[in-house]
Amino acid sequence: MKLVNAPIISNTEVLPNIYLLQARAPEIARLAQPGQYVMVRCGEGYDMPLRRPLAIHRISKDGIFLFYTVVGRGTAWLSQRESGERVDMFGPLGKGFEIYPSSSNLLLVAGGVGIAPLLALAERAIDSGLKVRLVIGEKNAAKIYPERLLPPGIKPVITTEDGSLGQKGMVTDILPQFIAQADQVFVCGPLPMYQAISKTGKKLKNKPTQVLLETVMGCGVGACLSCSIETRQGRKLVCKDGPVFEFGDILWDKIAAPACSGRC
Amino acid sequence: MKSPALSVQLAPHNKKGLLLSNPVMAASGTFGYGTEYAEVVDIQRLGAIICKGTTLKPRPGNPQPRLWETAGGVLNSIGMENIGIDALIREKAPLWAGWKVPVIVNILGESIEDYGKLAKRLDKASGVSGIEVNISCPNVSAGGMEFGANPKSAAEVTAAVKAKTTLPVIVKLSPNVTDITEIACAVEAAGADAISLINTLRGMAIDTKSRKPVLGNVCGGLSGPAIKPVALYMVYQVARAVKVPIIGCGGIATASDALEFIMAGASAVQVGTAIFTNPCTPLDILEGIERFMKKEGIRNLTELIGAAL
Ligand SMILES: Cc1cc2nc3c(=O)[nH]c(=O)nc-3n(C[C@H](O)[C@H](O)[C@H](O)COP(=O)(O)OP(=O)(O)OC[C@H]3O[C@@H](n4cnc5c(N)ncnc54)[C@H](O)[C@@H]3O)c2cc1C
Ligand SMILES: Cc1cc2nc3c(=O)[nH]c(=O)nc-3n(C[C@H](O)[C@H](O)[C@H](O)COP(=O)(O)O)c2cc1C
Ligand code: FES
Repeated sequence: MKLVNAPIISNTEVLPNIYLLQARAPEIARLAQPGQYVMVRCGEGYDMPLRRPLAIHRISKDGIFLFYTVVGRGTAWLSQRESGERVDMFGPLGKGFEIYPSSSNLLLVAGGVGIAPLLALAERAIDSGLKVRLVIGEKNAAKIYPERLLPPGIKPVITTEDGSLGQKGMVTDILPQFIAQADQVFVCGPLPMYQAISKTGKKLKNKPTQVLLETVMGCGVGACLSCSIETRQGRKLVCKDGPVFEFGDILWDKIAAPACSGRC
Repeated sequence: MKSPALSVQLAPHNKKGLLLSNPVMAASGTFGYGTEYAEVVDIQRLGAIICKGTTLKPRPGNPQPRLWETAGGVLNSIGMENIGIDALIREKAPLWAGWKVPVIVNILGESIEDYGKLAKRLDKASGVSGIEVNISCPNVSAGGMEFGANPKSAAEVTAAVKAKTTLPVIVKLSPNVTDITEIACAVEAAGADAISLINTLRGMAIDTKSRKPVLGNVCGGLSGPAIKPVALYMVYQVARAVKVPIIGCGGIATASDALEFIMAGASAVQVGTAIFTNPCTPLDILEGIERFMKKEGIRNLTELIGAAL
């Protein structure tokens, strides 16, 4: 982990209310693994005492990309930063995705902004000669990840709730089509999506599935116990033991989503 | 001018003493067991590290969510999740024994006897430089703040700990009381070597969308810059009431915050929430204090302690 005051190369609204930020941070890029995250300091001085955890979206030689939705004051502040300014990042943190040596076909399932950590994983997998199937689910076409920004070699399967692009329905509806070929499944999206998958869990049952969890975080390094959850493997810290977990280890009916106070 | 003298003795009447190389420490619950931030912070340069609050048995803590940001502050309801005193002595203390920086163990009991037992366990543990008695945690149903809320029980806990250890004993006070000087005087009379203050202030937040409390435990403890003026005034009041050294804590994020506490009568300070914002805060504060002293021509930190009283 490194503390870096990283120059912003670009920070643009690539989808409504969703930003892609590229920062120069070779120290972080060198260490980063797909599924890990950085804690980004937001606001001036100490007016926002908590850093915001954001997944490492893509990794280049000399920097990283973040892909984030503006939901509250921290991300709103971040979205206003311009190229040339600097952003204080702490990372990479946590335990990322694990591709087993025996896997050759990976199924990546993204709900909404959950595509953020999965693109880094897709790129890493393709570079290692693995086959990647990326399934993206969104509300409507306007929110689907822009094709021009996808890494070469990735042709996603798209579902939209209103049918405005790709297949109509929820991403969970079409999973059965792809499960059979997959050696491993990686899921990232909102909690309701995870809960839907856990209810139709039988379809995933025999496939090793990893999932990225979110809790509010204080330190990001296991020092404050803010992010502790109960799992089938005992208590775990989302910041350090996660944020990636085995899907089957999570007690889905006990997980609470962070609140959304002050966002109206 | 040569480097100003920054060392402080926090337990002048204790045989073992508690000599810090400088007055800036990491507050309990925000710096784990000292190792977590070691990749980005030179922890050996800290004045001291206070580890996470520790109980006799391991505790699972409160339900999620446990943390929430407010204006310039943070609400937490961790609920004293910790590994328990046995694991602490087995796994953590041996590491500390080889460190230059003193580590102080923060303890929390559900009963007065618990505090005594915890002190006894720590007394012989190598690697432990002192005990901070937490009678001020707002996040547990049994123990904690209950004892810190009245002078009699605060004194009883202090006496129970002192009876079982020769280690320096710091008693950490709660701001959630009517008159903090009353409690401070009681723990001083019961033998506390030093007093630290403040722990968090009780508070809550409501999620307007779900119309429910944000924190899983409803109530939490408020910390961070938002509480600094409250903490500072309490330190000032206590400094006028007791003779033992005081450790100031609450919202300290900059060297000038720390200097305010020192001028209000604190011999040392603890930094908590500001570590989350920037893990280097304690060391930045230390450098800032040094710069200030050089600029003002102050040779020894003791010249500043209580300067505003
Ligand atoms: C490991 C991890 C990776 C993440 N990666 C991404 C990503 O790549 N892109 C993205 O858009 N979002 C991501 N999130 C969610 C992101 O952290 C929150 O949306 C963000 O913190 C909101 O901050 P805010 O100030 O805008 O919102 P506010 O609601 O004002 O935030 C208030 C407080 O709650 C915390 N908080 C609010 N929502 C969340 C949440 N869902 N998870 C954790 N903390 C939260 C904030 O950090 C802050 O401390 C990730 C979360 C985690 C835990
Ligand atoms: C996440 C968190 C956990 C804490 N845990 C403890 C604890 O275990 N024992 C204790 O005495 N104080 C605990 N505290 C209180 C701090 O040590 C400190 O007294 C308080 O946060 C005020 O200082 P600050 O504003 O610098 O954070 C905790 C505070 C936070 C934010
Ligand atoms: S965020 Fe501090 S322990 Fe996980």
